[in-house]
Amino acid sequence: MPPDRTPPPEIVCTGLGKTFQGGTEAVQALDLTFESGQTTALVGPSGCGKSTLLRMIAGLEEPSSGSVSIGGAAPLETRKRAGLSVAFQDPSLLPWRSVHGNIALALKLARKPVDSHSIDQLIQLVGLDGFADARPAELSGGMRQRAAIARALATRPGLLLLDEPFGAVDELTRQQLAQDLPRIWEAQGTTTILVTHSVSEAVLLSDRVIVLSPRPARIVTDIPIVLPRPRTQEMARDRTAADLIEQVFSALSDSKSEAEKPLAAQ
Amino acid sequence: MTLTAERGLRLLRPRIRRPDAWLGIIVVLLGWEAAGHVLTDSYVVAAPSQILLYLANEWQLMLRALWVTLGNATAGFVLGNLAALVLAALASAWPRSERVVTGLALIVFCLPLVATGPILRVFFGPGNGPQIVLAALAVYYTTLIPLLVGLRAAPDSWFDLVRSYGRGRFSALVHVRAMAALPYLFTGLQIAAPAAFLGAMVGEFTGSERGMGVLTIRALRALDVEMTWALATVATAVAILAYLLIGALARRILLEDPPVILAMPTQAVGASAAWRDTGLVVLLVLLAWAGAIWLFDLNAFFAKGPIDVVEALFVDPDAAQTRAALGKALGETAMFLIPGYLAGLAAGAGLAMLLTLVPALSHTAMPLAIALRSVPIVTTAPLVVLLLGRGAIGTITLVAIMVFFPTLVACLHGLRQTPGQIFDVFDSFAAGPLTRLFRVRIPAMLPAFFAAARMAVPASVLAITVAEWLATGGGIGSLMALSASLSDYDMLWSSVVLVSVLSALGYALVAFVEQHVLTIYAPEQI
Amino acid sequence: MTHTPLSRRNFLTAGAAVAGVSALGFKPTLVQAQTTVSLQLSWLHSSQFAGSYIALNRGWWTEAGLEVSLLPGGPNAPVEPPVVSGTALVGISAADYTAAAVAEGAPFKILGVAMQKNPFVIASLPANPVNEPADLVGKRIGMALANTPVLQALCSLNGVDINGIDIVPTQYSAQPLLAGEVDCLLCWETDLPVAMTMQGVDNLTMLMADHGYSVHSQTYIATEDTLANRRAELVALMSGEVRGWEAYRADTDAAAALTLEMYPDAGLDLETQKLQAARQVPLMFSDLTDANGFGWWTDETVAANIETLALLGRTVTPDLWDRSILEEVHAA
Repeated sequence: MPPDRTPPPEIVCTGLGKTFQGGTEAVQALDLTFESGQTTALVGPSGCGKSTLLRMIAGLEEPSSGSVSIGGAAPLETRKRAGLSVAFQDPSLLPWRSVHGNIALALKLARKPVDSHSIDQLIQLVGLDGFADARPAELSGGMRQRAAIARALATRPGLLLLDEPFGAVDELTRQQLAQDLPRIWEAQGTTTILVTHSVSEAVLLSDRVIVLSPRPARIVTDIPIVLPRPRTQEMARDRTAADLIEQVFSALSDSKSEAEKPLAAQ
Repeated sequence: MTLTAERGLRLLRPRIRRPDAWLGIIVVLLGWEAAGHVLTDSYVVAAPSQILLYLANEWQLMLRALWVTLGNATAGFVLGNLAALVLAALASAWPRSERVVTGLALIVFCLPLVATGPILRVFFGPGNGPQIVLAALAVYYTTLIPLLVGLRAAPDSWFDLVRSYGRGRFSALVHVRAMAALPYLFTGLQIAAPAAFLGAMVGEFTGSERGMGVLTIRALRALDVEMTWALATVATAVAILAYLLIGALARRILLEDPPVILAMPTQAVGASAAWRDTGLVVLLVLLAWAGAIWLFDLNAFFAKGPIDVVEALFVDPDAAQTRAALGKALGETAMFLIPGYLAGLAAGAGLAMLLTLVPALSHTAMPLAIALRSVPIVTTAPLVVLLLGRGAIGTITLVAIMVFFPTLVACLHGLRQTPGQIFDVFDSFAAGPLTRLFRVRIPAMLPAFFAAARMAVPASVLAITVAEWLATGGGIGSLMALSASLSDYDMLWSSVVLVSVLSALGYALVAFVEQHVLTIYAPEQI
Repeated sequence: MTHTPLSRRNFLTAGAAVAGVSALGFKPTLVQAQTTVSLQLSWLHSSQFAGSYIALNRGWWTEAGLEVSLLPGGPNAPVEPPVVSGTALVGISAADYTAAAVAEGAPFKILGVAMQKNPFVIASLPANPVNEPADLVGKRIGMALANTPVLQALCSLNGVDINGIDIVPTQYSAQPLLAGEVDCLLCWETDLPVAMTMQGVDNLTMLMADHGYSVHSQTYIATEDTLANRRAELVALMSGEVRGWEAYRADTDAAAALTLEMYPDAGLDLETQKLQAARQVPLMFSDLTDANGFGWWTDETVAANIETLALLGRTVTPDLWDRSILEEVHAA
């Protein structure tokens, strides 16, 4: 298929900022490049503007300043040719469609052929075998999130945006997914941006972790993750990985305490 | 901002599951039977046994009449609901038009049947035209409003999903909104079914050879109490059956029960936008009105345009008399309408609260209330007047009944909306049932209450004009009927304008009060 | 008739064929082929219009080349507008309603008078009878408020003070009289009193026409334009009516039976219809009609009508009545 052969896009944010109506500044003039084919994790304290940044990259939120380029194209253009997928924090499965039906809908919306067999493969991959015909209401929160991830992968997008996709997934499944997903990303050739709360997840899944400050989001640290692939859960106990996790943690807590100082003074 | 009821809503299923419910119904029937026999000489009540006897003897006549009226009602039901679908799709595809669309729809819905009937008959000539159109007019608004709520009853992330694949409004309408609105559509259809039957019956009053409406007039004139009650019984049974049938269909198709939503929550907009939209609605109404007369080349003898009405009210030498006659009639109507409306609201909300305090009672009350909500006013008006007389009490009661049932159903629903956890919190403070009612349930009930109160405005105007026309012979309802028979079409059209505008203003007034009250008690609903 | 292409009447109504013919310049002076016309009745089907049913049933109109459809009225049915708009060739109105419509600009003429005597009565029960207008004083009368001018006119004609009568608004039912809410009812001779009799309630009626209330009822109306341009159809229609009503008079029971036969869905009761048909006869036929034929009137009856209509607030002139069609019918 043609999207497989084109290299995954490079995403360039230039002076990207967002101020909501009412004056809340969520993101402040970010200059940021996500390299082609890389997986980048965005971590930061709650409400720091990570999701807003992700939505701006997807073009679902209009930036107040600056611009986003996805392989040289505007987000809208990319969306129109089904070049990106988003897995939302809320799985957003349509309640009247089965798991299979929800995934098929994504293909339909993306104007891609609906291939039942590959949908079933994806369902199996996210560990939902036997639940293809189940409706979202019959699934647990974690299962719904997995269905949403399968849906996001189904269209084989060049850019995959994941907004805390494992929030409700249980620890065991999460580990399994953390092993399996990167393989798919690599195989499909996607640039992936992952928003997460979990520092270890960020380190183990990505090629690079960006730590953001509390609102408005600014870049605190940009840490390249040089770990061999495929990665396993055991690596977390590995010295290099542990160091990296520690590094991200301290950057995170520094940025937090820094932000809390002026708050306390008020 | 919507009364998002898409999740976890229980339809107040009119399915009678418990023996005490049957007991209540049996007691009511026995009381009715006794009344029928005791009051034979006063020609007001027919006992259930007498009704059954009549139906056994005249079932063929009744069936033929039912067939005709049901046919027209069905045609009107389909057309009216299609119109609602088209309007809702328009408002959804072009959101800025929504307030204008609903404004126009409200004005058309407020047109008094008593006056639109003869106008439609002249327009269509002989046949089923007026029956079908009146049925359609009776249903489209009660479908449109829940549908508009339903089209928005989806979380933003579903729309983000559609957008993330580069698709626009149309895909969102097809894949998300249409399906999300389905439960709301069914709610609208359930309310619409009995209304269509009523519209078709009233349409027959404009000149028809057969049908339930024709027989109703005949029975009343002939002092045939059994026939009058038999007709009311059949009409009620049909209305309830249609209601249940659509409910059953909905349960078969939907994953969840249809929500009990009666009206759209009012939207807060800037004053200038509100004035602009109102102005646009008025302009469009005037254009459509004058345009229809011109387009269809209607005779100036009976088709009066906006200019004719202005002249009749302000320019003609007898303008002062016309205004005085209208003012007097409207005054008379208001004397009964306002107390009846308020009494209906108070009784509906009051009983709903009482039922939550005494839950055992609600097993009988709820199915009964839902059933009685479907009884067509044309058959109830004569019965209520027979029972309570033509004075203030009968008329006020009739209006109150029309307001009461929808209010009761909406309030019971609202009272059940309170999330369980809140009660757990109150329980932890050992709060009594009254405290829970006043602190938690009533505030939770208010949005549903106001939704019902708004929809009750046009309904109560319909009730009183029909009652005045068929039974009491006073007020604006009678004035309209009289104007039509005396060819005073200036007066008739002026009445139509005034009644429609006043109904719409009443609706707006309730919406205004609603917004202020909800700002205090249920800010999350606005 | 209008020639606007958008006028739906041109497409849809019964008169469309005729309109087309006249538009082409052929003015139909003789009705040759079957022409479709409508007669707008003033109420639901019942033996009130049985004369027309006989004419239709026996094919007297078809013989004359006329396909007549009888359009039922009803409590909310417009009668005059279909005649103005051309949907109906002729309508069944009453002198007071016709006068009101003319005052509003409708170009009507009265072509015939089916009810020589106005059917309004005061109905009461034998225990508390109203035999003459003076008896009304001190009584509670149930009536539609809309009919207040009628009572007012009766009082004026008979020197009774209307303020001595207690008017109770009622509508469409004899029940208030039976329940004792009122002492008498203002209603039609052929309507509520018949219903009471059929329910086995003895009652008596005072015909207002016997006390000076002269308003022609069940009058045939047509527009001036029709009268000028469609005379042949009017003559054909009216001669069918005349024959029908003569046959009706000969056997009212048969007329009632025919009504039920033709309109089985109207929910009519045969005995009630027979009684109604019989009670209608004295209102429709008199020495005047015996001498001159059904539907007739004289200058004197018109003068009396003008006088009563004046009491009802309607100013009319004798030229509201046009006897030319009837004269043609009876001359034939």
